[in-house]
Amino acid sequence: MAQAINGKPISDTEFNTLAMLVFTHQYQQNKPYQNFCNAIGTSPEHVSHWHDIPALPTDAFKAETFPLTTVPIADVQKTFLTSGTTTETKGKHHFASTDLYDQSIINAWHELKLAEPAHAIFLIPHPEQSPHSSLSHMMGVIAQHIAQGSCWANDDSGALDLEKIINATKNNQPVALFGTALSFLHLFDSIESPLPLAPGSWAMETGGYKGTQHQLTKSELYQLFETKLGLHSDCIVNEYSMTELSSQFYSRGLNQAHQGPSWTRTRVIDPVTNTDAKPGQLGHLVLYDLANLHSVMAIRTQDLATQDLVTQDQTNLEVSAPYFNLIGRDPTALPRGCSRSSDETLSR
Amino acid sequence: MTTTQERIQLIAETCSHDEIQQWTGDITAHDLHAWVTNELGSNMALDAFLAHGPLQSKAIAPACILHIVSGNTAHAAFQSIIRGLLIGSHNVVKIPSAGLAEFTDALEHFPDALRELIEIRSSLEQQDWSRADVIIAIGSDESIAAIHQHVKPQQLFIPHSHKVSIGIVYDDFEAAAIHAARDVSLYNQRGCLSLHAIYAAGDSERFADLLAIEMEKFSQSNPADTLTASEAGTIRNLRESTRFCSSNGPEVKLWESSDNLNWTVIHDSSAILKLSCLNRCVYVKPLPSELDTAILGPEADHLSTIAIHPFTQENAVSLEHLPAHRICPLGQSQQPSLFWHHDGFAPLASLVKWKDIG
Repeated sequence: MAQAINGKPISDTEFNTLAMLVFTHQYQQNKPYQNFCNAIGTSPEHVSHWHDIPALPTDAFKAETFPLTTVPIADVQKTFLTSGTTTETKGKHHFASTDLYDQSIINAWHELKLAEPAHAIFLIPHPEQSPHSSLSHMMGVIAQHIAQGSCWANDDSGALDLEKIINATKNNQPVALFGTALSFLHLFDSIESPLPLAPGSWAMETGGYKGTQHQLTKSELYQLFETKLGLHSDCIVNEYSMTELSSQFYSRGLNQAHQGPSWTRTRVIDPVTNTDAKPGQLGHLVLYDLANLHSVMAIRTQDLATQDLVTQDQTNLEVSAPYFNLIGRDPTALPRGCSRSSDETLSR
Repeated sequence: MTTTQERIQLIAETCSHDEIQQWTGDITAHDLHAWVTNELGSNMALDAFLAHGPLQSKAIAPACILHIVSGNTAHAAFQSIIRGLLIGSHNVVKIPSAGLAEFTDALEHFPDALRELIEIRSSLEQQDWSRADVIIAIGSDESIAAIHQHVKPQQLFIPHSHKVSIGIVYDDFEAAAIHAARDVSLYNQRGCLSLHAIYAAGDSERFADLLAIEMEKFSQSNPADTLTASEAGTIRNLRESTRFCSSNGPEVKLWESSDNLNWTVIHDSSAILKLSCLNRCVYVKPLPSELDTAILGPEADHLSTIAIHPFTQENAVSLEHLPAHRICPLGQSQQPSLFWHHDGFAPLASLVKWKDIG
């Protein structure tokens, strides 16, 4: 699988072949998933196309007594937890090794031709401060393998250190800021006067506001980027992923589709009929991620999206890959998301 | 200015319209007289000074009530406005931004004398807040907290926040399943009197089986509302999550309508009260030997109604220690009496103030 996740585009035929291998592996080695497949009368013998691989809801990762992994729990070296309040049950994604996970982050970055920042500023706790956060881990991989220089702007308590950020941006060199939407809001609230970034700077934001008091549209948030940091919306990348996945999806600017690397596929499902939504029709996103080798590759989310017939040019990410128009977290779903976890830290 | 007697006649006539009666129930003038008398001591209490110990007292209705209603069902809006009209107050009704057509469309059946006491708002201006003597708010905890920030010290605030109702079945599963299906399914489970979970004594899995049969029957005679993508997705997620757990252990079991999302029954061996995702999805749980808030968990604090079967005084009183303000027969959870204390408030008495002579 590591050979497939190498940054070179995978054809539909290759993807399907690999997806069947992964499904078979997961059906055989991941007993809770096998039981689910059996309950709905599906097994690898009955499936010939990745569309038909049974998708598990993200809530399945919360089942404490049925860990969703193909490796023995004793071999688990890393576990990422979903965010949530202390009283909420957290989902767990187990890894015997994060090698494939890290490879997915790095190679997707190259495949999707995302910019390699000369200097990255992370408004997110360092992986050592937040060892169970998949987002912190991802940022750690970017710091280590993609950015040429980096700065972590959270202090030991997890709060943003404004002085660090100002110092990191004052030498008129382009920077890239990485944070959750909420961490950027905290930054914008903290700076009294605008902090215009040097030309060539950009930002990557992720997460929403569910479960918090914040009610900002994406265009309102991006307007704040322009007002506070001098960043036009074209200089802002949105990263979409979740603890239960091992790959990420990106869009740039407003009203643009999200793309993932070629080892991922997406479907938008009409929840009423449980079949593919028509182009433009609102539905729930189902994600297929070959990098999720050691858990479950097909994940049913509670995120609303549409799957339109957009062209490659419209995505701004210069490569043909799976795409979808993300509408956002389903408003009826329970609060979750890494953005809120960061908000809790920042609000302390 | 109308008298209580005149308003009672007008309200009784208004509530006889089918479009309104489906929300208010069958309310007669006799019922309304009895209700005012019961809460205010006399059906003349709002019209004249009446003996009150050594004094003479008259009930004074608030000049203006601001009703902020939710969009879940139109029930609460009708209940609230009828209370305001009955005591003769002017009523400003803030409806949800998405509208509340069942309520606003029905206003055409109100006679002018009542209609002129009602103003509908889709958004509130400062003067709407400031002129209100009483603010009644129905909505989520977050909405109530936001509304509370607008309330001045001299204004009376009556909040009806997030509520959840449950059923308890002690015996007679066959009849209980029919009643429970009705209480769960009516109004697509969107009201605070809708049952989210039913605790059954004995073989609770058998009760779940019977309930599933009755949910299907009810669904055929009373089709569910059309679901939004969001609502449908939530039900799908619940079903698939339950299917996953069910395929891996005996703690949960799933019954579902086939080929559609009309109804879902989940048997869950845990006694902790879980919120349903609504739209006719209900949990069935074994009834613990001791049912208290510690066993039910944090949602117990939001209990509104407990519907029980068989309904006996002994069964009802045995649940007195729970935070619910109403214990009623199963099958009637959605039809509270006019006389009920809504979330513990006396609906008329809590609105009025008194003027004394002597």
